[in-house]
Amino acid sequence: MKRAFIFVLIFSFSTLFATAQPAFEGPPPSTVPVLDPAKRRAEYLARVNEVINWAADGGQAKTDDPAKLDLAMIAAKIVRKEDLHGCSQRVINLMSDPGTGPFWMFPTVCIAYLGRDHLTPEALASIRTAWRTTRQLRGDTENHWAMYYISLYLMAELYPNEPAESWYSGKSSSENLAEARSYLIHWMDLATSVGQGEFNPTHYIGEYVIPLQFLANWAKDPVIKKRGAMMLDWLFAELAANTLNGVLRGPNARTDEGSAIERWQAMASYFSWLLFGNTPPTAGYGGWGLYFAPLAANYEVPEVIYRIATDRGGDYLQRDRARVRRFWRYSDELSPPVYKTNYLRRDYAVGSTRGGLMDAIQAHVWDVTWAEADPRGKHNTMFSLHPFSSMWAMESMFVTYPEPMIKGVTFEGKPSYDSPDKIMGSSPYERVCQDLDTVIALYDIPADTRFPHINGFFSKDLINLSEDPSGWIFAQGGQTFLAYRPLAPYQWEKYLHHSSGWAKVRRDLGGRLLVSPHLKNGTIVQAASASEFKNFGAFKAAINALPLTFRLEPTPSVQFTSLRGKKLAFTFDQVPTVDGRAIDYAKWKLFEGPYLNSELNSRKLTITHGKLERVLDFNTLTVTDRVK
Amino acid sequence: MNTKTPAFILFGLLALRILASAAPAYDFFVCANINRNYVIGSKIVTTNGVFQRDASGEWQHLGYNDTGISALAFDPRDRNVIYTTGLNGLWRSLDGGKLWRMCNDWTMTEARDVAVDPHDPDHVYLALPDGVAFSSDRAQTLVRRENGLPTRGKYTQVLQIDRTRAGRVLAGCELGVYLTEDAALHWHQVLPTKEMVFDIQQSPHDPLVWLAVTQSSGAWLSLDGGQTWKKFAAVPTTYPLYNITFDVTNPQRLAIGSWGLGVLTSEDGGQTWIDRNAGLPAPHRVWRVGVDPVGQLYASVVAETLYVSSDFGRTWKTDSLAGSVVNKFLIQPKSAH
Repeated sequence: MKRAFIFVLIFSFSTLFATAQPAFEGPPPSTVPVLDPAKRRAEYLARVNEVINWAADGGQAKTDDPAKLDLAMIAAKIVRKEDLHGCSQRVINLMSDPGTGPFWMFPTVCIAYLGRDHLTPEALASIRTAWRTTRQLRGDTENHWAMYYISLYLMAELYPNEPAESWYSGKSSSENLAEARSYLIHWMDLATSVGQGEFNPTHYIGEYVIPLQFLANWAKDPVIKKRGAMMLDWLFAELAANTLNGVLRGPNARTDEGSAIERWQAMASYFSWLLFGNTPPTAGYGGWGLYFAPLAANYEVPEVIYRIATDRGGDYLQRDRARVRRFWRYSDELSPPVYKTNYLRRDYAVGSTRGGLMDAIQAHVWDVTWAEADPRGKHNTMFSLHPFSSMWAMESMFVTYPEPMIKGVTFEGKPSYDSPDKIMGSSPYERVCQDLDTVIALYDIPADTRFPHINGFFSKDLINLSEDPSGWIFAQGGQTFLAYRPLAPYQWEKYLHHSSGWAKVRRDLGGRLLVSPHLKNGTIVQAASASEFKNFGAFKAAINALPLTFRLEPTPSVQFTSLRGKKLAFTFDQVPTVDGRAIDYAKWKLFEGPYLNSELNSRKLTITHGKLERVLDFNTLTVTDRVK
Repeated sequence: MNTKTPAFILFGLLALRILASAAPAYDFFVCANINRNYVIGSKIVTTNGVFQRDASGEWQHLGYNDTGISALAFDPRDRNVIYTTGLNGLWRSLDGGKLWRMCNDWTMTEARDVAVDPHDPDHVYLALPDGVAFSSDRAQTLVRRENGLPTRGKYTQVLQIDRTRAGRVLAGCELGVYLTEDAALHWHQVLPTKEMVFDIQQSPHDPLVWLAVTQSSGAWLSLDGGQTWKKFAAVPTTYPLYNITFDVTNPQRLAIGSWGLGVLTSEDGGQTWIDRNAGLPAPHRVWRVGVDPVGQLYASVVAETLYVSSDFGRTWKTDSLAGSVVNKFLIQPKSAH
């Protein structure tokens, strides 16, 4: 089942109290782009070395005792060519009790390749033996399969011409290689045609880019090697275009509570730090992120991607397509499309999907997030949602009986799933319309739904919060003025944070929930930069002057003229109009914006920044750079 | 010349047949997960997978230690040929469980059930969350055979092969029971349901008698080999019915396992049903029921363990397979091998 996300979290949390991590503990880095390529490269390599040194010197174990090394530490020691005998012994020891799936597979692949010329034959043989004796589970998610098949592919290439009985799969090297190759090409073609299912990944980005980096470095087949390298650029370009000062913004297919409220708290931040240098890394360098470091010196993020992440010319709107996780049952479509909007400005970002059911457990549908000089510990977000919990949704997406699923999900690492005060997840009873920095979210919730109310998240880091007699709630986050309009009466409740993972204890982090127990409901949020107004009062006056009419019965419907002068009309389950014109979702491209552009089903991405351009064409497997 | 056999010889022969038929002619297997809280990537710390009940009543582990086996089947010609389903799809062993091959590729996943045609044992059928696959070469290769299944709504939970006719198979799907009579080349619906069909069984006593249980449409009986179905009026539809079983020792005995209803039994061929949860832990959430070759009834209780009853549910005791969740009970005619 879909449970491996917990391992990301366990790994991440286990690193929280590790030894010194200069970039994590120090002041936030500069967000000024480094335009000198040599200096940029030198700074990048310094960051890479920081990670390798931390891991080799003990990492999360706080010791370099060979008997306590994990595979990430061994990888770092191999890079430093130190204590190789101890590493070999430890590998033999670890391989005597192998794991059972993609989270075990890709680290062992890392050691198998890195250790080829450094570890003892016995150590290398122990890895190979484990791949014979221990059945590896493929998992059931997009990231599982990426890790699984990249790992299988590389091991099959490393040990070619070996018989079926020498592999856990019971298939020969050539059979394993062919199957893995076929899937990887299929997945890459799908992702570059209609988008990823696990789009905008907060944590899972590591599960893609780490094995892809292995592929780009170690694959012998030039086609697969090239595809790996191109896919790496593709995903990092998406990361760059969806970050603000290195922090990932916009909706997510799958995330967790920590990342939903503290947007920096994600493995994506580790990769922003490593590649772009514009935000601190998370604790323990993202946990799994340690496996990117040993080969990181072989990668250089293309300048066009670096510049997108660090050198913004102004506000921009990015509209993308993605797809929903597979609905095995009770749906007319296997993977319905996702329409994703992200509007980024200097001070804040506004992002959304159209709502509806996406990933049943971990989706994050929309929010406004503001920039913070130091994002660590800042809950820089505002959003609302319907806390949907449903056996039916579980049954539609997972191959199990529905009845035990909710308890199973909450027990197995997603403790908030069945909480009425949760702040994560999508709902079939939510519809969202976004135009620039205005969001309208409407709710039409059946009375017999498990949690018949909506939750709005109000951060501890908001200042100047006031409930205006007009019905608007005004607040400021960083240099962003925020106006939040609940469409039905509400009460305030303390927000208690699930620490994710297996944590049973909930913590009061200072935030509040706006809870509105009305089935016909809605939220309007308008954001603006503080610099646009003389003062906060002027912002309030401007908002109060905006034409707004709405009704909740029989179906929630809003007509609102935004701060940007756009006339928005939106009725639940109808296509919204902007200035009288219906948004034509059918015409949405895979990527459309100033930086990323791709036609649907084209398998071709054009990455642009100023005069710089890189085209990734998966039809011809070519990468074309030019300066316009 | 008309010769007559003396009466005492006839009675003697009959007695011998009765004695022979009284001896268990079946083997009994379970697919059991004992490793609680397993998640992808973690270590497996207990022995899980296929177990066979031996003559002394002990469970003997067979094959691979896998926490997620959902079903198993054997080649009737050779008990060393074993098929199991799970997260990766279909696994096959040709040597009694020492070596295994993952038969499917990435186009198939999370298989729910596997069945081998006793009349054509090279023919293997695989139930998938998105349809049905078929093999004519002992699962060396698998192809989709879904003609007649709906484009959407073909989630297949269970496959049962009619032991009387090659290529005749019933499939329990998202929207009903489907029948093929030509080895899955064509399917047609024989029982529509609003939601999932969770189990289908053919009577070991009369091959024309079939049973089916569903998520929300109750329990059903067919007396014509699955062509037409009649609902068991006495079985509630308030809770999902996860599985149903016959008793090989008594054609009148049936049992249902249900989330919510627990164990229901009938001892009159399904006319009346009795709640048999006294002695089982509450709430009454039963994952599977099964009956072994000597008529002992088993109930795998969710989050608890396996229970066994020697009086068809009147009293229960815990079974020796402690802490297990049983995904499948399989009763198989004894193999010559």
